[in-house]
Amino acid sequence: MENILPEPLTKKLGDRLRGVVGDAWVIADADRLLAYESDGLTAYRKTPLAVVLPRDTDEVSRVMGILAEEDVPVVPRGAGTGLSGGALANGDAVIVGTARMTDMLELDPDNRLARVQPGMINADLTKAAEPYGLYYAPDPSSQSACTLGGNVAENSGGPHCLKYGVTSRYVTGLTVVTPEGKIIELGGFGREPGGYDLLGLFVGSEGCFGIATEIEVRLLPKPEGVKTLLAIFDRLGDAGAAVTEIMAEGLLPAALEIIDGPTIRAVEASVFAAGFPTDAEAALVIEFDGIEAGLASDVERAVVQCRAAGAREVRIADSEEERLALWRGRKKAFGAMGQIGNDLMVQDGTVPRSKLTEVLARISEIGVRHDLTIANVFHAGDGNLHPNLIFDRSDADELRRVELASTEIMAVCVEAGGTITGEHGVGLDKRRYMSLVHTPDELDAMRDVKAVFDPRGRMNPGKVLPDLPDSAGAAV
Amino acid sequence: MNSLAGMLTDRLSAAQVVDGIEAERWAVCGRIPQAVVFPESEEQVAEILSLSSEEGWQCIPGGKGGWLHGGQPPQGVDVVVSAERMNEISAYEPADMFIEAQAGAELEVLERRTLECSQWIALDPPGGERGTLGAMVAVGAAGPLEAGFGSPRDQVLGATLVTGDGRVLGLGGRVVKNVAGFDLLKLVTGSWGTLGMITSVTMRVHPVPATDRSLLFKGRDPAEAAALACRLAQAPLSLAAVELLVPGDAESGANASSPLVAVRILESVDGADEAERLVSERAGIEPFQRLEGEQSAAIFENVRAMEDGAELVLRLSLLPSRLPELVEMTSRLSGLYDPTEGWGMRLAGHAQTGVLRVMIAKMTHSTDGLDQARVVLGVLRRSLEAEGGSLVVSQGPPEIVGALGAWGDSGPVAPFNAGIRAAFDPASILAQGRLPQ
Ligand SMILES: Cc1cc2nc3c(=O)[nH]c(=O)nc-3n(C[C@H](O)[C@H](O)[C@H](O)COP(=O)(O)OP(=O)(O)OC[C@H]3O[C@@H](n4cnc5c(N)ncnc54)[C@H](O)[C@@H]3O)c2cc1C
Ligand SMILES: Cc1cc2nc3c(=O)[nH]c(=O)nc-3n(C[C@H](O)[C@H](O)[C@H](O)COP(=O)(O)OP(=O)(O)OC[C@H]3O[C@@H](n4cnc5c(N)ncnc54)[C@H](O)[C@@H]3O)c2cc1C
Repeated sequence: MENILPEPLTKKLGDRLRGVVGDAWVIADADRLLAYESDGLTAYRKTPLAVVLPRDTDEVSRVMGILAEEDVPVVPRGAGTGLSGGALANGDAVIVGTARMTDMLELDPDNRLARVQPGMINADLTKAAEPYGLYYAPDPSSQSACTLGGNVAENSGGPHCLKYGVTSRYVTGLTVVTPEGKIIELGGFGREPGGYDLLGLFVGSEGCFGIATEIEVRLLPKPEGVKTLLAIFDRLGDAGAAVTEIMAEGLLPAALEIIDGPTIRAVEASVFAAGFPTDAEAALVIEFDGIEAGLASDVERAVVQCRAAGAREVRIADSEEERLALWRGRKKAFGAMGQIGNDLMVQDGTVPRSKLTEVLARISEIGVRHDLTIANVFHAGDGNLHPNLIFDRSDADELRRVELASTEIMAVCVEAGGTITGEHGVGLDKRRYMSLVHTPDELDAMRDVKAVFDPRGRMNPGKVLPDLPDSAGAAV
Repeated sequence: MNSLAGMLTDRLSAAQVVDGIEAERWAVCGRIPQAVVFPESEEQVAEILSLSSEEGWQCIPGGKGGWLHGGQPPQGVDVVVSAERMNEISAYEPADMFIEAQAGAELEVLERRTLECSQWIALDPPGGERGTLGAMVAVGAAGPLEAGFGSPRDQVLGATLVTGDGRVLGLGGRVVKNVAGFDLLKLVTGSWGTLGMITSVTMRVHPVPATDRSLLFKGRDPAEAAALACRLAQAPLSLAAVELLVPGDAESGANASSPLVAVRILESVDGADEAERLVSERAGIEPFQRLEGEQSAAIFENVRAMEDGAELVLRLSLLPSRLPELVEMTSRLSGLYDPTEGWGMRLAGHAQTGVLRVMIAKMTHSTDGLDQARVVLGVLRRSLEAEGGSLVVSQGPPEIVGALGAWGDSGPVAPFNAGIRAAFDPASILAQGRLPQ
């Protein structure tokens, strides 16, 4: 996508937008726009024309109507924690942010449903549901910051998606404002509308089809019991093998997460220290949840498998504090890694879990060959890898090697029968890998479907789909 | 042989095309196709559909043809394209927990294969084991286990679709987590053959749980049973299924005659005992029967087969806590059938998702009777829709489903549905009219 630098917002457009949301909620001065320049993937930076912060569906609809009339491209944005550059806008586009749309609209414990505004933070939903013994299952590691709207757009996962599934399993209904400003309802729990599963299609559409302005989700009863284990390995491959064996045993842990040696050392050197031994090459966090009485035997079987795979130590967290420390260590690992180097390229790919050991070895070899530090922390049970490439943006050669290594890692994932992104989305960053997993016909079908929602190509342009070969960089 | 069948024979072989009397068994909602064709590969499917696009033949993709009478009647039926001869299991990787098979594979065959490795496909759609994988995905059908494991849309990892104009699209993949581009796979589930012919499907499999136990609770009447089902669905634990079962008016036998709630527990051995205790406590009564293993599975197999021989099958929905209201509303259907004909009217309610299946053995067939049925069902649909619910006619006489529509209006999303259909089937040859406009 070409970098289009912003022109000042015209008075006419500015006035019209302010007329809907109020003066305070249209941001157009250069200083304040800096905050919207990038997302969690800091390698990309772009300055939008302006940022508009509406309060509810009606305001979003009116704002979108104006932007449609003025033919201005739109980029939705939640908390900006995305890791594929999805929420970035060129200088000719306006960001519509959901920062003021944080309300709980309805909580219905009997039906285990919540209806929320899209700017609500993931963790706040679980907090609101807790008094009723309920919680929201998808738990991205960024859950204390990311929004449910962002989760919907990325079809986000998290450690506990191994047992519980990703966002799409929990979103039961959406109110969406289309690029032309129309309000439509998709899905809805307790009804079976005919026609295509537009709700399922919208989830994971990365802000390219419209803006979700209300989200209805399913909540789950909090499991009666939870048991968390930590297995320590001297070789990363052995931890991978343990994962394969635990699943082959017919066990279904709530989570199976691997943290490798470099990550352990980063975490232990940070404020999130969780007590992982720093001389280890892998820590495997295993969690079982469900009916308390059933957990002991699962734990026992998992311990046996870990030992058989070569674990030098297996600990069972025996207090809630210890359990939370383990999870803090895991969930804050990206943050901790920030302390190793200046910049972090969080890669994301999925492989069949039986290929974990083989693929991890190949990734490590890629790191050595390009002289890069690669730290792995990932959702092992789902085969969802996160090799993190640590670099310094000001070092042009290192940046080049990061690009090369990323491309090779993607190719390895695809070759192993996997894919180029498991949960962070394509955004800007992975458009160039799309043809590794999709034929031209498949990409065309995606273009056609996008055009159904966004015939003028104004909605989050230049994301997800690669440019057409003959269009010389023009966005779809 | 008619000319259409002749042209198909030229492209394929005589052994792959039937017409005339042999095509009668493949009638779609009462309309007999001019030819039924049995492709043996994706390429052949693409060739048939491209040719049909050129010729403007109306095609219905199908499996074994066991339920072509279900759903909304299509506008035209020239060719049925059956996946029956594409029935191989192409990959099964127990460690990676997926199985991939051609669309014509029977669910029963997949079940047998996965059981060898102590795994299963956790779906129990209506109709039983003889249906094909492709058909299950095409109609997107789920049963009681949806509460515990999700519907096909949640469990299909990938599929191959041949579009109306013969493009072959590989959608999704073999891994659970995959967000590489827009999720077109979701469109395929429940597309009823209108976007293309599904030629292969990759399904998620699950480990077979150590314990399969069903607890049966009796209710004095349907209302009491429905209230109990609701209470159990709200129990603070994850149950595989909570099903309300109301036998037909004319069904007798000591246990079968009263309404039941069947709770299915799929857990580890110790977990199952504890779950049973929690469920009984919440029910406030002891189960009158407790089924284990194959017997537990069998009662839910029966649920799948409950609509065998039904002339009218409806799905009423509201939020789960309103299941008792749905049950009560079925009294409005009493004029539609004669309770002494066959088994009368049966009900099966998925208490965690708020769907009540209503099965009527034999409708009152005078012109007056059918007119009245249309009116009653139309009114019922409108009142459910006003409450945020819906009424789907899963299967019924074409006079009813044709006039009423299997589903209600799509409202403001209709143009999006139409746009998507045009993108996959530009010549408008696939199952036109099967889905609401
Ligand atoms: C430390 C860290 C850990 C992470 N861990 C995980 C993890 O475990 N699992 C995981 O899946 N991801 C993870 N992520 C990635 C990221 O948090 C998720 O993708 C998250 O869902 C993004 O939410 P957001 O509110 O920040 O969205 P943004 O970054 O603001 O936007 C992301 C995309 O969503 C679109 N969008 C936002 N809101 C809407 C809306 N209302 N309607 C339509 N489109 C919208 C945007 O246009 C953009 O394309 C992590 C990120 C970080 C920084
Ligand atoms: C007695 C009975 C009752 C049933 N009740 C219901 C019900 O209430 N609700 C429900 O959803 N399902 C119902 N089913 C359907 C069931 O879930 C299976 O879908 C069915 O058994 C299909 O098997 P089949 O191969 O014979 O399908 P077929 O009869 O060949 O096809 C069924 C439908 O799926 C489409 N289809 C089949 N294969 C493909 C393909 N490869 N690509 C694209 N489209 C395809 C067809 O066009 C047709 O609309 C019922 C089935 C039976 C036998």
